[in-house]
Amino acid sequence: MTMTIDCPFAARILTAFIKEELAKFGFKKGILGLSGGLDSTVCAYLAARALGPKNVLGLILPYGPSFNEDVRDAVRTAKLLKIRHRIIDIAPMVDSYFERYPTENRVRRGNKMARERMSILYDFSAREKALILGTSNKTELLIGYGTIHGDLASAINPMGDLYKTQVKQMARYLKVPVKIQKKLPTAGLWAGQTDEGEIGMTYAELDEVLFHLVDERESKEELIARGYPKEKIEKIMAMIKRSEFKRKLPPIPKISSRTIGHDFLYPYDWDK
Amino acid sequence: MKVALAQISPHLGNIRKNFDLHLQAVDKAKREQADLLIFPELSLTGYLLKDLVETAALDPDKSPIFKEFKSLSRDISLVLGFVEEKAQDKGLFYNSAAFLDKGKILHIHRKVFLPTSGMFDEARFFAQGRNFRTFSAPYGKIGILICRDFLHYAASYLLFTGGSEIVIVVSAAPGRGLAGKNGFATSRMWELMGEAISRFSSAFVIYCNRAGLEDGIVFAGGSFIFNPFGKRLAQAPYLKRNFLIQEVDLAEIRRARKNWPFKRDDKPEVILEALKRIVHDYDD
Repeated sequence: MTMTIDCPFAARILTAFIKEELAKFGFKKGILGLSGGLDSTVCAYLAARALGPKNVLGLILPYGPSFNEDVRDAVRTAKLLKIRHRIIDIAPMVDSYFERYPTENRVRRGNKMARERMSILYDFSAREKALILGTSNKTELLIGYGTIHGDLASAINPMGDLYKTQVKQMARYLKVPVKIQKKLPTAGLWAGQTDEGEIGMTYAELDEVLFHLVDERESKEELIARGYPKEKIEKIMAMIKRSEFKRKLPPIPKISSRTIGHDFLYPYDWDK
Repeated sequence: MKVALAQISPHLGNIRKNFDLHLQAVDKAKREQADLLIFPELSLTGYLLKDLVETAALDPDKSPIFKEFKSLSRDISLVLGFVEEKAQDKGLFYNSAAFLDKGKILHIHRKVFLPTSGMFDEARFFAQGRNFRTFSAPYGKIGILICRDFLHYAASYLLFTGGSEIVIVVSAAPGRGLAGKNGFATSRMWELMGEAISRFSSAFVIYCNRAGLEDGIVFAGGSFIFNPFGKRLAQAPYLKRNFLIQEVDLAEIRRARKNWPFKRDDKPEVILEALKRIVHDYDD
């Protein structure tokens, strides 16, 4: 088996998903955070195809007023796709909080920023009657590389079953500007942060192991026999395990005869 | 015979809307002068019902909607999928498909193989059927299977032994696996079975799958018809809603069975005895 996907077919599925899922809930418009990175750019391309450019709003939400390169790339994507965009500096909101509760902890600061962006997206969702398109990929979701109730929050998540490697394939197929395709992936939690630096391996290595573990249901022993380093496999398995809470609704203790999440089970697309 | 396949996308849990969807297809099929119109699995209710199963359940002997379908079937034979709950079997919900003709229900098949693993959870919500029977229709002997039933090839063998000349498979098959070219890996699986069963039972295999999405599950479409020589006569596109019309020549059944006497040479008694021995020898 291979991780190479039939991109035109995948694009048909994902655009149909975006279009139909929004329509079922009575929405025509989609909204997403545009960071200037690969995932949100690919998502914007798919959304523009699915909904028409006029029905997509990209919110560019930098920390600080400086018009840095990521902001410029995000604006360029919006202009290329002819989707609506808006830049909102989140520094005033984030700074006013940290003035009261100061910290140098960059993870706390980064998470706060991610949640500030989420909060603005949800307000604009109501304001614009637009559903929020998540931009998390399967790699991030599996290893928990995202902020819960921050960038992991969305109404629908079109690329949640594509590994980062496959998002890159989609980017090539969709003809995303090469500059964005070549960017080093970053969560943007602090300056100079890169995903691969923080995770401790490249996406290519990570995705290969994830693909064998998750999609092919192979065991740790089988992967070691294939020649993947034991430490890396163990690290990845630990990340998956540690982040299960980010992929679930909070647990509810069962007291009654019928409990949400346990035995009160309805489809998301109920009556749609 | 002219066959119509309605590759629709039902509204999940909304029978009223789905009834309208069926009416539109019936009108269209009648305009095209089709003899038989087939809808997918759970066409009246949608697939991923979970706890909605009980509210979607109908008794075909009593339901006003079935009364309407019976009267529609005076002009065209219909196969439709629904959740069945009989007055005498309260609380037992079956994933069923009915064949209606000339104002009557000729046959109801209750899904036997309820997939309950991976992405599927049917046995949690449905009671399982217990039989594979053929029935006589104006077009010959027919057997109906529902989705996963068809992937257990013994089900097709039972219909074959029961004399089926036409195997109708209604399906709500989600697609998965994108490593191949143009379509889901799982679509190939259905087509392979369709080809094999049609050829080796010298029977028509008519497969009606659904389109659309439910909770992110993508139904693959790709409905098809194979003739008794294992030749694909027609196929609907993947993913998209579609309405497929195909003329089939029922005389091909006889032609195929003269060339390839699989039916003549079948040995159900031997199979039955061998099966009994196998089942008897289970040691757990």
